[in-house]
Amino acid sequence: MYGIIDCDNCYVSCERVFRPDLEGKPVVVLSNNDGCVVARSNEAKALGIKAGMPYFKLQEQFPDNKIAVFSSNYELYAELTGRIVEIIKQEAPAYFRYSIDECFVYLDGMEGIDLKAWGENLHRRIFKSVGMPVSIGIGPNKTLAKLASHFAKKHPGYRHCCMIDTDEKRIKALKLYPIEDVWGIGRRYTARLKEYGVNTAYDFAQHTQGWLRATFHNIVIKRTWRELNGDDCVPNEQLAAKKSICTSRSFPGMITDFDELRTHVSNYAARCAEKLRLQGSVASIVSIFLSTNPFREDLPQCWSFQEQRLITPTSSTTTIVQTAAALLQQVYRKDYQYKRAGVIVMGIGPKSPIQQDLFDHNAEQFQKMRRLDEVVDRINRLQGSETIVLGAQQYTSRDKDGNAVGKANVFANAIKHDHRSPNPTTRWSDIIRLK
Amino acid sequence: MSSRVTILNAGFETDLPLPLAPGIRAGFPSPAQDYLHDTLDFNKDMIHHREATFYARVDGDSMRDAGIVEGDIAVIDRSLDPRNGDIIVAYIDGEFTIKRLDTTHREEGYIELHPANPAYSTIRIDNPDEFRVWGVIIYTIHNWHNY
Repeated sequence: MYGIIDCDNCYVSCERVFRPDLEGKPVVVLSNNDGCVVARSNEAKALGIKAGMPYFKLQEQFPDNKIAVFSSNYELYAELTGRIVEIIKQEAPAYFRYSIDECFVYLDGMEGIDLKAWGENLHRRIFKSVGMPVSIGIGPNKTLAKLASHFAKKHPGYRHCCMIDTDEKRIKALKLYPIEDVWGIGRRYTARLKEYGVNTAYDFAQHTQGWLRATFHNIVIKRTWRELNGDDCVPNEQLAAKKSICTSRSFPGMITDFDELRTHVSNYAARCAEKLRLQGSVASIVSIFLSTNPFREDLPQCWSFQEQRLITPTSSTTTIVQTAAALLQQVYRKDYQYKRAGVIVMGIGPKSPIQQDLFDHNAEQFQKMRRLDEVVDRINRLQGSETIVLGAQQYTSRDKDGNAVGKANVFANAIKHDHRSPNPTTRWSDIIRLK
Repeated sequence: MSSRVTILNAGFETDLPLPLAPGIRAGFPSPAQDYLHDTLDFNKDMIHHREATFYARVDGDSMRDAGIVEGDIAVIDRSLDPRNGDIIVAYIDGEFTIKRLDTTHREEGYIELHPANPAYSTIRIDNPDEFRVWGVIIYTIHNWHNY
């Protein structure tokens, strides 16, 4: 069985941890450069505020400051969600962090335990310890676990945990589930499926495998169909596709030697760093996984995963390689013959906070930022790609209170984040005050 | 048979942690070998629920007579169930406050938060079921040196 733990309105919930007065109130979090809405509380959703709404439109529509507005504070979000992952590590035999706000767990070996009660308890523990509400879905595979988590989120009757553990529940859930929300089915396939009269997950799952093979050639769609029908066939590392960058390989033979593994892992890490730079991103979490050959049932089996949050998001090869090597040390055991390893970087954000924002309406600022980008690109091209990294790395120059100083301060001030909340978990200057 | 010599570069970029356990061959036979333990570390040894632990700074002197003064650092554990007499953090009227919890009147329908300074008044909470303790103070730290 698999579970997925999904933070409810993650960024908003993070902002509410140190602002309990905002519970039950409309709250939004803005994208980089305060461009548009990237997170909304349920109350904000109820007011009709849509994801992606430009900030200036929000200000026009709600001029009275009834809505609490925050700039993105990834430093805070990474730290608080990291605590949730720490709890999950203690409560489940194996976990796989999928994104900043979602984490899969592998629950085999927990037969005989009331998993629904386990899930409800896990929510309670996370909510008490960290102050963040989560929704938990449990199912025979990851697609169904994710499906279950949607029900847990929408209906209070589930007490934050929904489990699909019988065929009856599976079919009931599929019938209630719109096809466009199914994990693995994007907008393009939804349109096509609707032409075939498929509106729910059930409609889709009901088709024969023959029809599926004839109609679709995409492996993700086929896997999704099989999973909706109860099979477990999405490989763990495939999860990395959307919100993270993964570099992994199977080895021609099997490897037990640490140094040999480390060479491979270092290469994957370097490749991840390259990919990050190619797409102009930085990552805040580095993770590795290691697995044995599942077909060699005569040999001891394991699938290990470990992650590390970086204090400063980066695309630097050195940092990512060093972190990956340190993680390898933590998971490596000499008794296993490893067949596959990979490095996954997550918590990906734009490299330059001074970025072209689709909804940026300030032409002058846009021009300044474009010129800056061009200069940076040129210098990086001429002198090597690590010469200048704008964005998070600019902030590494700090005084003892954690404030950006000198040149870093100039860039820090050029980015709009007028509504940034403090960082009470990562900067001594920001810790909460008790009266 | 020809032999090849390959020069390998030593990598110093990562540390290999040496487990401090008996039976490890150190450079010299140390009489202390059987008595090795990790150095005392406040974070590792005194904090039991790291994922639920937060820091705060005390403002004002509402808890002065309990030995907690302005500028002290408070270490908060959110995972603990607050008991009568615990020093706790609550969020009241838009601010975090540090007070001693008094649940002796719970049966009568209210609980109280006491300051430790006659200049401050006790806070009475009339709907204790809706009241949420933000966290329990496990340590306060007074800085005598000021680095």
